[in-house]
Amino acid sequence: MKNRLKEVIESLIFISLEPLTLEKIKNVLQEYPEEEVELAIKELLESYVTNERGIQIIQSAGGYLFSTSPEHDLWIKRLFKMERKAKLSSAALETLSAIAYHQPATLAEISAMRGVDSTHTLKTLLQKKLIKIVGRKKSPGSPLIYRTTDKFLAYFGLTDIKDLPSPEEISKILEKEKDIEEEESSVH
Amino acid sequence: MDASAIYQVKLEVFEGPLDLLLFLIKKKKIDINDIPMATITKEYLEYLNHKEKINLDREAEFLLIASLLIYIKSQMLLPREKVLDEEKDPRQILVDQLLDYQKIKAASLLLRKKEEDELQKWKRTALPSQFQEEETDFMEVSLFDLAESFFSLMQKKEKKKIRTIKGKEFSLEEKMKEIMAILKGNLFIDFLDYFSQQESFEEAFVSFLSLLELIKSRIVIATQKGPFQPIKVMIRQEAYVKRKP
Repeated sequence: MKNRLKEVIESLIFISLEPLTLEKIKNVLQEYPEEEVELAIKELLESYVTNERGIQIIQSAGGYLFSTSPEHDLWIKRLFKMERKAKLSSAALETLSAIAYHQPATLAEISAMRGVDSTHTLKTLLQKKLIKIVGRKKSPGSPLIYRTTDKFLAYFGLTDIKDLPSPEEISKILEKEKDIEEEESSVH
Repeated sequence: MDASAIYQVKLEVFEGPLDLLLFLIKKKKIDINDIPMATITKEYLEYLNHKEKINLDREAEFLLIASLLIYIKSQMLLPREKVLDEEKDPRQILVDQLLDYQKIKAASLLLRKKEEDELQKWKRTALPSQFQEEETDFMEVSLFDLAESFFSLMQKKEKKKIRTIKGKEFSLEEKMKEIMAILKGNLFIDFLDYFSQQESFEEAFVSFLSLLELIKSRIVIATQKGPFQPIKVMIRQEAYVKRKP
């Protein structure tokens, strides 16, 4: 019985184009106790880790999703005759990171943080649905306020907004930069 | 001339004035909390001076920070009658801004790494549609390409100065039906051909709007083999089955 549940969940995840949340799985499988569903998911995930498979189930933007193994990138690109996937520009990335850490944020706040007018970059990010407008700020001019979307989480493989690189990780990077500089200066 | 060209390229490399400032601070191995204003202002302005022309759209932001630097420098030079207790360091605004920016920049590097990892995992959402897979040679044409072709064609027509007086009015609905009828008879419509056959500007314009409407409702699709290639309009078939030759 439990095995069948596992297989049902596998089908549900397979057929979903967007990350399938635990909530949705539970809704669909309402006749089963929640603990049983959770256990089945756990077993399903484990079976994918232990078996030798080209595809995997990943957790992304608060849900489960099938993806290919990263090692197969080369051949998939060849199948689709693609050189490489388009990456975000560094301006877009910088703007996203400013929003992600200081959301909700207005255009003026984002521009001030970056020291650069970000009107255009925000437009691009909105088009890509990586950010969304969540309302207006109650301040002079009532400017629009922006937040990152679930698509943003999925794009970077984050489960939750709390998954963003932590302040510790960030200061680690900054420390590393410093170390490299010092090494360089000791060489010269 | 040569030197300035190099600097010009360099300025483009920086995301913005804060990025440039951070670069200078690192280069000079300066402690961010104790910036020697004279040195850094001089360095910063030197960079800006190497630009021959100032592009206001982009460089206004660089100038803004330049003026902030000069302002702070002047604040520090001015003698004060009495030093207030816990007087705020005029550099504090800049330091705060730089530290914040530095964090954002470092975070964006970490996000870049995550992006790269994630792009190697293919999801079903990323799959090209069946249509694109069969017709890899064609690219879908954007609205702007269509509009551009249309208006350049209309301009050419206008030059001919053909004036016609017509009482007939064209409706969007009729035109859409007409386009669909042609498409059912033929495999595709050549975009330019079709519009050069239209008699009046009004007719062409209504046809163009009808075509846009059809594209919007995803009934037809406009494709081309590459930039500057003829644009072809055909019926969009989700399950496009191409007979193997």
